[in-house]
Amino acid sequence: MSHAAVKHDYHLVNPSPWPTLASLALFITAVGLVIFMKGLVGDPLSLISSYFANEGAAISAMGQGSDAVQAALQTNADYNNLDAANKAALLDKYAGSKQWFWLLGKSQFLVLGLGLLSICTIAGMWWADVVKEAHAGDHTPVVGIGLRYGMILFILSEVMFFVAWFWMFFEQSIWNEARTLSTIPEVAEAWKSWPPAGVETVDAWHLPLMNTLILLLSGTTVTWAHHALQEGNRQATAIGLALTIALGALFTGIQVNEYGHILNHHAFGFGGENVGIYGSSFFMATGFHGAHVFIGTIFLIVCLVRLLLGHFTPKQHFGFEAAAWYWHFVDVVWLFLFTFIYVTFG
Amino acid sequence: MKLIDYAKNIGLLATIALMTNVNIVQAAEGPVDKGITLQPAASEVAHDIASFHNAVLMPVMVGISLLVLVLLIYVGIKFNEKANPKPATFTHNVPLEIAWTAVPVLILIFIAIFSFPLLYKEDVTPAKFDLTVKVTGNQWYWSYEYPDADGISLTANMLSEEEAKAQNKPFQFATDAALVVPVNKVVRVQITASDVIHSWALPAFGVKIDAVPGTLNETWFKAERTGTFYGQCSEICGIRHAFMPIEIKVVTDTEYAAWLASHKTADASPVQLAQAQ
Amino acid sequence: MAHAAHTDNDVHSDRPSIFNPWRWLNSTNHKDIGTMYLIFAIVAGLVGGGMSGLMRWELMEPGIQVFNGGMWGDAHNYNVVITMHGLIMIFFMVMPALIGGFGNWFVPIMIGAPDMAFPRMNNISFWLMPASLALGVLSTFVPGTGSGNGFGGSWVLYPPLSTSGHPGPAMDLLILSLHIAGISSILGSINFITTILNMRAPGMTMFKMPLFVWAIFYTVWLLVLSLPVLAGALTMLLTDRNFGTGFFDPAQGGDPVMFQHLFWFFGHPEVYILILPGFGIVSQIISTFSKKPVFGYLGMVFAMGMIGFVGFIVWAHHMFTVGMDVNLKAYFVAATMVIAVPTGIKIFSWIATMWGGSIRFSVPMMWAIGFIFVFTIGGVTGVALANSSFDVIVHDTYYVVAHFHYTMSLGAVFTIFAGFYYWLPKMSGYKYNSFLGTVHFWLTFIGVNTVFFPQHFLGLQGMPRRYVDYAEVFAYFNKISTIGYVITAVGVLVFLLMLLECFIMKRKAGNNPWGDGADTLEWTLSSPPPFHQFSEPPVFEDKGGH
Ligand code: HEA
Ligand code: HEA
Ligand code: CUA
Ligand SMILES: [Cu+2]
Repeated sequence: MSHAAVKHDYHLVNPSPWPTLASLALFITAVGLVIFMKGLVGDPLSLISSYFANEGAAISAMGQGSDAVQAALQTNADYNNLDAANKAALLDKYAGSKQWFWLLGKSQFLVLGLGLLSICTIAGMWWADVVKEAHAGDHTPVVGIGLRYGMILFILSEVMFFVAWFWMFFEQSIWNEARTLSTIPEVAEAWKSWPPAGVETVDAWHLPLMNTLILLLSGTTVTWAHHALQEGNRQATAIGLALTIALGALFTGIQVNEYGHILNHHAFGFGGENVGIYGSSFFMATGFHGAHVFIGTIFLIVCLVRLLLGHFTPKQHFGFEAAAWYWHFVDVVWLFLFTFIYVTFG
Repeated sequence: MKLIDYAKNIGLLATIALMTNVNIVQAAEGPVDKGITLQPAASEVAHDIASFHNAVLMPVMVGISLLVLVLLIYVGIKFNEKANPKPATFTHNVPLEIAWTAVPVLILIFIAIFSFPLLYKEDVTPAKFDLTVKVTGNQWYWSYEYPDADGISLTANMLSEEEAKAQNKPFQFATDAALVVPVNKVVRVQITASDVIHSWALPAFGVKIDAVPGTLNETWFKAERTGTFYGQCSEICGIRHAFMPIEIKVVTDTEYAAWLASHKTADASPVQLAQAQ
Repeated sequence: MAHAAHTDNDVHSDRPSIFNPWRWLNSTNHKDIGTMYLIFAIVAGLVGGGMSGLMRWELMEPGIQVFNGGMWGDAHNYNVVITMHGLIMIFFMVMPALIGGFGNWFVPIMIGAPDMAFPRMNNISFWLMPASLALGVLSTFVPGTGSGNGFGGSWVLYPPLSTSGHPGPAMDLLILSLHIAGISSILGSINFITTILNMRAPGMTMFKMPLFVWAIFYTVWLLVLSLPVLAGALTMLLTDRNFGTGFFDPAQGGDPVMFQHLFWFFGHPEVYILILPGFGIVSQIISTFSKKPVFGYLGMVFAMGMIGFVGFIVWAHHMFTVGMDVNLKAYFVAATMVIAVPTGIKIFSWIATMWGGSIRFSVPMMWAIGFIFVFTIGGVTGVALANSSFDVIVHDTYYVVAHFHYTMSLGAVFTIFAGFYYWLPKMSGYKYNSFLGTVHFWLTFIGVNTVFFPQHFLGLQGMPRRYVDYAEVFAYFNKISTIGYVITAVGVLVFLLMLLECFIMKRKAGNNPWGDGADTLEWTLSSPPPFHQFSEPPVFEDKGGH
């Protein structure tokens, strides 16, 4: 800033449009998600179909426009039994949902897509600014320390997020016997054993073990890349990073494959009768981990690109470090998943 | 348990002192108009809770609040700008700091001495219980079953204002089918819910237990006198949460036997009978 | 030095006009962001306070007066109103005021920093709040239950009422609203921790920081550690509702009570999140107006740490009636009661700070003293509730409502007003009318005590909470309670009048309107402080006061 000479090394960031836009984008995404899941206007068909002989008749009337619908309704006894106000309300509601269903109806994903797209765009712009600032020398040593605190704390909050999923898993695995007291006889019966009847747990020593080794290996390759970067060996860094990314992709591939296997062989599903809680906590815990692997892989890819663009120096490469920390965090979460979900309670 | 008895005696004094405008002996049991302390107790556990509150908790709470108030007023008078223009500068006083750490600890231990035995007494159903009733919370009524008595079952809906008035019962407490239990008998209550969580509360017996779908919770009570007692659903359960009260009739053994018999001999199925009531 | 004339006390700064929208939308200035938080909190406070007005109006007499199917809807809408009242007051009034507002304004200044560590992230922490509130408000206009709009299952969101009980999109919007509020708080917390650890001025060691900074420091740690667990629980609700998982569905072997564990694992630390910053503010004020350093500074710091830590291991005291194992209950009873000890240390240390002081009963000081008294009442009823043996009788009755309003609507709100009257001259640059402030204090003090004290009696007598209607026997104290609300509402009007008067009269406040006792760094700056303070880091000398 122009006035008094600044005599500190902190980074006073210039005003930026991204935070407000990102909030707006998040709002749109949230609304979009609800539209996708539930819809904010009812299905026009279901509103009127009960007044028709069958759905087909209603659909064909709808196809001919609202006048036709109104005319058809006029001949319906149930409809004519409504009082004037209710009739008007029904027609209003029908007209409204007919008009907006394409945008606000259940399973429509326009708003959601718009929201997600804007989030990604804005995040990209925002981080591009951060990179620019780094190049402008705004990331002094003390700012660098701040960025590190920030990343560690972010990871810590992620750890606490996983606590919730592990808590859920432990609750039903360690205290599975509590469920034999359920008032629902089928549930009580199913949980007399571990794993509960109907669940065929995944063998830890096949694909999961392989995935464990893959992630452990990727932990070493990313560390190798880091050391190479510190020594200024850009080529080795690139190879290390590329290997890590490949291993991450391999992990994701195997995980997807395993999910398919579980679902196809009906070992257990996502929800389901009596023992759905097992599948729920299994898939949500490993699924959120998988999502983190995916995000971490993208993060590493960004780092690889930045490396090739020459963004990183042996002294200053916080972006890379953050990605590496994140990767290690993802790694450690997997070790917990492996130990408890696959081995101990497998 | 001696401690509790001792507390009870103080409790009585405290209760009398507090309930200046409260008529203890009431025909219709339940909350009292303008009452400022716990409802009249009708079981030993409820008496114990009342004593614990009146003789242990109240003195502690009132004492501490008054102490803080008095200290605040005192410093306000003694150390205001006019009275004390030159402020002191001390920032430590180790004995004092130890004291105000240790004394609260002692007070808490004192509370705990009464609290824990009572907790176990409330919570653990006596090994010898006389009958079991099964309670189910529904949106928005209670249903009761007597598993020991050929599965008699009742459904209790709140009486409307007119119905309650007609039967001379308190509106919003009275139901069309009271749970009937014998006096001085240990009643084991098993409870669950069919839709969302409800909570079965009977303040006069010191009972409150959540009705959770899929879970069978348990509590117990032993009513010490006959009469009609009231409670209300105590976990938000939707639009009619305020309108699913609990009415329980405590009767003598003979009356209870007669009541059972009248339900058993009726040829209609118990459910229909209950609904017809 | 070319710019020698421009000292930090220079009011002619490069501060943009307040009518420039970009100043607010694109802000990276902790004071501007703090101001936005405060304005947001005031608006939310008025909305939440208005909703409590609807509730008290309904509860003034037995029978259904307001939510009778007319313009305010039916009993379901009453439930929606209490839900939104609770959520708005907690997430959109108290937290933004204390953490986002005062924290943003004064944490950097008090530690001698020029701004927050991540100024741009700071702005998204704020702007997520309106987004979150908008989702919450939107939720009240779309179907919740089959027939009614909005979610009416209380702020604790227990399933199955929040899953199968409310199939409509309202609950999904509310869940996402809370997710976003959570993201906002987590980002804000990361910002505060980094700022406090990394940006202290030379000489400002951790144990020289003012107690308000410590209070915020602990608070944001609680947020970072507890909010993600809530986010997990909310996500489970969302997937149970929409994607067929069965976490809380008994038919799938799930357990509704598990949600309560997850919720209260967040929920109990949350209540200390609401009060710890207030503790910090009260410490500053008591010391300032007693013209005496804080008594037992270290003890205060460790007491807050202890409250925060123990706060994580007591959550199930909200669940004494769910059918928990009796030994587990006994543990939670004991652990909960422990918190009275460090809290007592704080209460007595404040009194000891005043002891021997030269007390000036300024407006902020009255709020602070009032706080000590009303918070003690709220605290001791908390200790009573902690005893499961007693709690069974009053759980989910108005006794609990009285308890938590004494700690929040009296406790936390008093600290907000205390802080507001303490720092208003600093933030705005103008002196306010002390008479109006005094009237506001007394009206509020009398009003809220009249609202909530009788609720203890109602609770002891067994009146359940979240009831749109109650029996005749509960009429007397409910009436008194509603009368108290009217008094409080007049107080809120006086508060608004005070604000208006202050900004119309524009009496210059000067750097330090409070005199000797005010020895933290904000009082060395101009009022309002320069747009960017401490371009040259101040060297902090410890004068023994904090
Ligand atoms: C700012 C918010 C806040 C604060 C600070 C507290 C503080 C405390 N709370 Fe409260 N509480 C809430 C907000 C808060 N609470 C809310 C919102 C709910 C209800 C949520 C819902 O269901 O909707 C609730 C509910 C609640 C319950 C559950 C009741 C029920 O649902 O049945 C319990 C039970 O243990 C409890 C206990 C306590 C205790 C022991 C403290 C302690 O921290 C208090 C400590 C303070 C003191 C004790 C006073 C000062 C101390 C001294 C002067 C020393 C000497 C004292 C002694 C020796 C006793 N609270
Ligand atoms: C901080 C939290 C907070 C605050 C301040 C309040 C304030 C008030 N509350 Fe509320 N209340 C809750 C949190 C709060 N409440 C919660 C969590 C519940 C439980 C909900 C549930 O069951 O789900 C509840 C429930 C609740 C009930 C029970 C409803 C029921 O169970 O059926 C009632 C009934 O009387 C009530 C009344 C009031 C009243 C009259 C006030 C009055 O004090 C209001 C007067 C207004 C103010 C005192 C605020 C003024 C503040 C500002 C204008 C902002 C200033 C800001 C700055 C200066 C920056 N509240
Ligand atoms: Cu049933 Cu509340
Ligand atoms: Cu708590």
